Amino acid sequence: MLRYLAKRAARSVLTLFIIVTVVFCLLRLMPVEGYFSNFEKMTQSQIQAGLQSMGLLDPLPVQILRFWKNALQGDLGVSHIYRINTPVVEILAQKLPISIQMGVAAMLLSLAAGLPMGLLMGRFKGRWPDKVGTALIVLIQAVPAAVYYLYIQMYGTTLLGVGLLFDETNWRYWVLPVCSMSLANTAFYAMWLRRYMVDESNKDYVRLARAKGESESRIALGHLFRNAMVPLVQYIPSAFLNTVVGSIYIESLYSIPGMGGLLVTCVQRHDNTMVQGIVLLYACVGILGLILGDLLMVLIDPRITLSRKEEVR
Amino acid sequence: MKDTMTRRQFLKAAGLTAAGACAAGLLSGCGGGTSSSGNAAAGDQSSYTILYSSQPSTLNYLTTASDVEMQVGANCVDTLLEYDPKGVLREGLATRWEFDADTLTWTFHLRDENWVDCNGEVVAPVTAQDFVDALRYVLTPAYAASNAGLVTGYIAGAREYYDYQVSRTNAENGYTAEDGTTYTLDSAGNVTISAPGAEPQVLAPVEFDQVGVKAVDEHTLTYTLTYSFPGFLSLLVYLPYEPAYGPLLEEMGDQFATSAETTYSCGAFYLAEYEPLERWVMKKNPENYDAEKVFIETVSRIYNAEAEVNGPEMIKRGEIDEATIGSDILDSWLADPATKDIVSMDRPNTNYTYFYMFNCMPYRHEFSGWTVEGLDAEYEPDNWAKAVNNTNFRKAFLYGINNAVTLAVSAPEGYEGYKLSTITPPSFCATTDGVDYTQCGGLANLSEFFDEAAAKQYRDAAIQELTAAGAHFPIKVQLPYNPSTTDWDKKCQVLKQQLEGVLNDGADFIEILITEGPSDSFLSSVRRAGKFGFLMCNWGADYSDPETETDPFYQTEGGYGSRYAYLRTGVEDGILTGETAQAVMDYMTKVEQAKAITEDIDARYAAFADAEALLIQNALAIPMGMSIPPYLATRLNYWEGQYASTGFSNKRLKGIHVLDHYVSMTEYEANRDAR
Amino acid sequence: MLFFYKETKARRLEADLSRPSDGPEAWKDLPEDQLFEPAGFSARQAESTGYSNYSYWGSTFRAFFKNRFAVVLLAALCAVVLFAFLQPLLPGQLDPNLCSVDPATGIQYRNLAPGENGFLWGTNSIGQDLWARIWAGTRTSLTIAFFVAMIEAAVGITAGVLWGYVRRLDFFFTELYNICDNIPSTILLILISYIARPSVPTLILGMSLTGWIGMARFIRNQVIMLRDRDYNLASRCIGTPTWRIIQRNLLPYLVSVVMLRMALTIPAAIGSEVFITYIGLGLSVELPSLGNLINDGRKVMMQAGLRYQLLYPTLILSFVTIAFYLIGNAFSDAADPKNHLE
Repeated sequence: MLRYLAKRAARSVLTLFIIVTVVFCLLRLMPVEGYFSNFEKMTQSQIQAGLQSMGLLDPLPVQILRFWKNALQGDLGVSHIYRINTPVVEILAQKLPISIQMGVAAMLLSLAAGLPMGLLMGRFKGRWPDKVGTALIVLIQAVPAAVYYLYIQMYGTTLLGVGLLFDETNWRYWVLPVCSMSLANTAFYAMWLRRYMVDESNKDYVRLARAKGESESRIALGHLFRNAMVPLVQYIPSAFLNTVVGSIYIESLYSIPGMGGLLVTCVQRHDNTMVQGIVLLYACVGILGLILGDLLMVLIDPRITLSRKEEVR
Repeated sequence: MKDTMTRRQFLKAAGLTAAGACAAGLLSGCGGGTSSSGNAAAGDQSSYTILYSSQPSTLNYLTTASDVEMQVGANCVDTLLEYDPKGVLREGLATRWEFDADTLTWTFHLRDENWVDCNGEVVAPVTAQDFVDALRYVLTPAYAASNAGLVTGYIAGAREYYDYQVSRTNAENGYTAEDGTTYTLDSAGNVTISAPGAEPQVLAPVEFDQVGVKAVDEHTLTYTLTYSFPGFLSLLVYLPYEPAYGPLLEEMGDQFATSAETTYSCGAFYLAEYEPLERWVMKKNPENYDAEKVFIETVSRIYNAEAEVNGPEMIKRGEIDEATIGSDILDSWLADPATKDIVSMDRPNTNYTYFYMFNCMPYRHEFSGWTVEGLDAEYEPDNWAKAVNNTNFRKAFLYGINNAVTLAVSAPEGYEGYKLSTITPPSFCATTDGVDYTQCGGLANLSEFFDEAAAKQYRDAAIQELTAAGAHFPIKVQLPYNPSTTDWDKKCQVLKQQLEGVLNDGADFIEILITEGPSDSFLSSVRRAGKFGFLMCNWGADYSDPETETDPFYQTEGGYGSRYAYLRTGVEDGILTGETAQAVMDYMTKVEQAKAITEDIDARYAAFADAEALLIQNALAIPMGMSIPPYLATRLNYWEGQYASTGFSNKRLKGIHVLDHYVSMTEYEANRDAR
Repeated sequence: MLFFYKETKARRLEADLSRPSDGPEAWKDLPEDQLFEPAGFSARQAESTGYSNYSYWGSTFRAFFKNRFAVVLLAALCAVVLFAFLQPLLPGQLDPNLCSVDPATGIQYRNLAPGENGFLWGTNSIGQDLWARIWAGTRTSLTIAFFVAMIEAAVGITAGVLWGYVRRLDFFFTELYNICDNIPSTILLILISYIARPSVPTLILGMSLTGWIGMARFIRNQVIMLRDRDYNLASRCIGTPTWRIIQRNLLPYLVSVVMLRMALTIPAAIGSEVFITYIGLGLSVELPSLGNLINDGRKVMMQAGLRYQLLYPTLILSFVTIAFYLIGNAFSDAADPKNHLE
């Protein structure tokens, strides 16, 4: 087990290294204005001098090496435009908590809403809970999020009697963003679970259970649902990543100071050091999620062992 | 007397407010004075909260020149002088001032005032030395102050100091220019500039005490000018001449004013909180000498990327104090009885005008320190070079463009009031007899140009001449826009359709190709790089003298001017020849002559006006219109605030009350007339 | 989001395919007496030769056309797509960028409600005909999506086959897959749109940059699994050329999932385009697309009277999404050889 973990971790580190290096090289392709807060007004000589002092005129491998050396010491450089001369780590530390809180809340909500919904839909396949649920899912899937988030904000705020902008200290202000954020995943879980239940319902073990005289509800909960949990765990990595990434739509609608728009903003404003930092963070979280997903899978499903999984991978 | 106006009346009235700025009382008939508050939302009258979606990249008022970044400079730092609501200069930090016989040395006597930090606590007194230190900061090339030109042009010794500093910085960085010029610094501080194939040039060290700004004592400041410059006092009410606390500048360097902690304030407000992309709070500064005239306790700006969508909605709910009502939703706001009485306008900003310019630099040209790329091959630079050199071609544009149509994009029905046939806006400055500058000299003869028949005549003449010159038709005209500027894309589409409609009627004359420029550093990559055929440009006055309006067009020999029209370079490179070249050189001469007139203001204005008229009559620049004040839903009465046709005075919130209701158009007009 | 659904569906099908329904694995748990059963003797069967009139595509289409709902939807989708591309040829259509001007005042028809002055879907704030713009936008978006789907399929299948057949490439591709799977796809989209100027080719490139890898992985798994199956070994032994094995034995297995992936890529690509426009890296206004139409519509959506500007592009987008999704599902079910036996 430990050996597997160590091997897995080593491999992840390699992946991480490659991802960040690739992004690092990609960023070198970007215009140099991303390193100056008032590029427009600078003369050519000022720009050259500035680039030199930041070490950006060095050969690429040297730059990459230096970046990794600093990154390992927890230094991701300072932001050049977004918040001039503020360490990237500091900015991220400030932005992450709110996105994580909101993301985890949304994740839990979508599980809490999506799984029962899927269970009901599967249990009453073809009857009205299934139809209503399907219609809802199709709607969420087909209408662009950018559109329905706006409607939720507009009508939801009136309904709840809250302001349009987010207020961290008042729980009522959390309701709409969290609900909006969980919608897509709720639909996903519900659809997935329904499908699973329908597919499995003719499997032998279900037939056996039915033959034993177990009630349909017990079959759904005790057999189908428990088995469904195994593949469900597969989606934990991406779900986990999404909680950190935040939602740009929602955060910009409600003025939530989270991670959502951060990458886009930094990309748009050409703040290259920030982009590097954020990508590194995302890659770390993504890989962590992957490992976590694997481990959870082992814990939940006795049929899978890590050593065997290793072979499969 | 009516409490409410019909939508049509509203739009008309709104359009006329621009004209109202110069001819107040024009609408006195309908400015009834009843203040109808359309919205019952009871606002907090001590605070002012708005959304913003465009994040400043710095608050450093000494280095910035962009609109959003001036807020701190305008509201948190006092200037030596300031404007009153009618645009008349009055005392500010300086209580009195005098000048010597040849108006070259100006002495200012400062009042007692303190710097406060972001908690509102007193740090130190404001002294004359703070002005000196700030100017030195502006003149330090490493900080790349965009307004350095407003200092080097007028303050004695500033240019020499700045140029030396630039070369010295180059030498220290071991910088080599693209053309191979190198810089070396010796122990005595001399900088040797060696360009390949030229005699090395040695710059002797220039110390800052050779620059014409002195702190005589704590409360006495003197400026020495290079020449008797009439617009000097108005220049003082602008960013590069603001004070900054010396020890803080010293300590922070290029990190000065990047956060609330690194900014000290001495103005009507102090910067209390600044979290980029979150919030930005300014609070009333009780330490300010004029604190009793500041009626707003807290100014909060909350970042919302969707401000365009959320702002108007939050106004309807009474959650914020001001929002811009974009032209796309304006009609429906005015049609709705619930909202039509809460829409008014910003105070017209008369210092900004728009005009069109042709590209005289379709080919690559390297200046020292700047390279013009020229037109891309797909826009046929050879063909374009021939066209732009043809006066009839340009005049076909001058007479063919109907500015009303383009202006109507942003001002649905009041567009007539914004049309211009000059580059300098009206009521910018006036002669000693009160004659407006736009009625001086050659400008007096200009009136609206749009005339389809004339345009077609010029077009036919141009076709004849250009065919003879070997050009082929249609001539491709690249028309770029900046996607981040509201309505610019729409204006381009409208212009293309209107102009092609006139000029291509019965001939295959031009093909306008609209292209999207980058939203970041648009000017550098499009206008300054010569990557356009025809472009809508703007210019805002920096001080109250017509000289400021020549900056886009005037160039010294071999220089790149303000990297704007490159007219003279066009002549030097042989792109502009004959009649056109003659006109350009006449313009340059006229501007030089006008600049030399410093005694007789009337003659100076007439000379500048003649030069400007020459430019327009030769269609080297085509006037478009004034900047259209945005439609607002606001609780502020902007007419109480400071006003000037130049600089940032209009952004100052001192003297303005927050009302308990949103201002209606009727009330807006009443306030304007009552001013 | 849609990519997510696509993955699920793909994984499910993949799981179905790799499940050992037959073969030693499945047999090993059977009791001894069930393993072998005497079949008895039949003279007629002893003389008969095998014959099957089975045609893969014939069965696929037969199965598909049995699904009435999907057929109706397919007809509607075809009509919409066809109309989008034929619309400019119809008489009386306006240019999507033309700002219609009121002849009386010379000023544009601003924000006309649908139906006013003959503008079927109204006009926007500078008098452009939304009918023309929305169809032009549909054309642009569909074109982008179509190319993305094609590139994804072409590159994905090629790479997948290589990945499966050439063992030395396995480490490289696996690592690449891990990387692509771990960078949120939006980041790559943003980076690409940012490095290159926004244009149709840039968008296509950005969107197809990572999409192909999922397809490739799936193909690779299938190739590895199928190439050593007994019937393929047998085919190889009797000298069947590789291309024929791929064509007759491999492809039918893959078609269903490839089709589904492609069908889902189209709405997903349109959705990505909306997102890219939202963050300001989309196409220029001169080139209407569903993305910039929806984005423009969003800006005025708080005004009840102007919501039509958002409604129509959203309707088209939603319809296309649902149609592709359901048709894709139906077709992949129909294309699955296992369903042909019923």
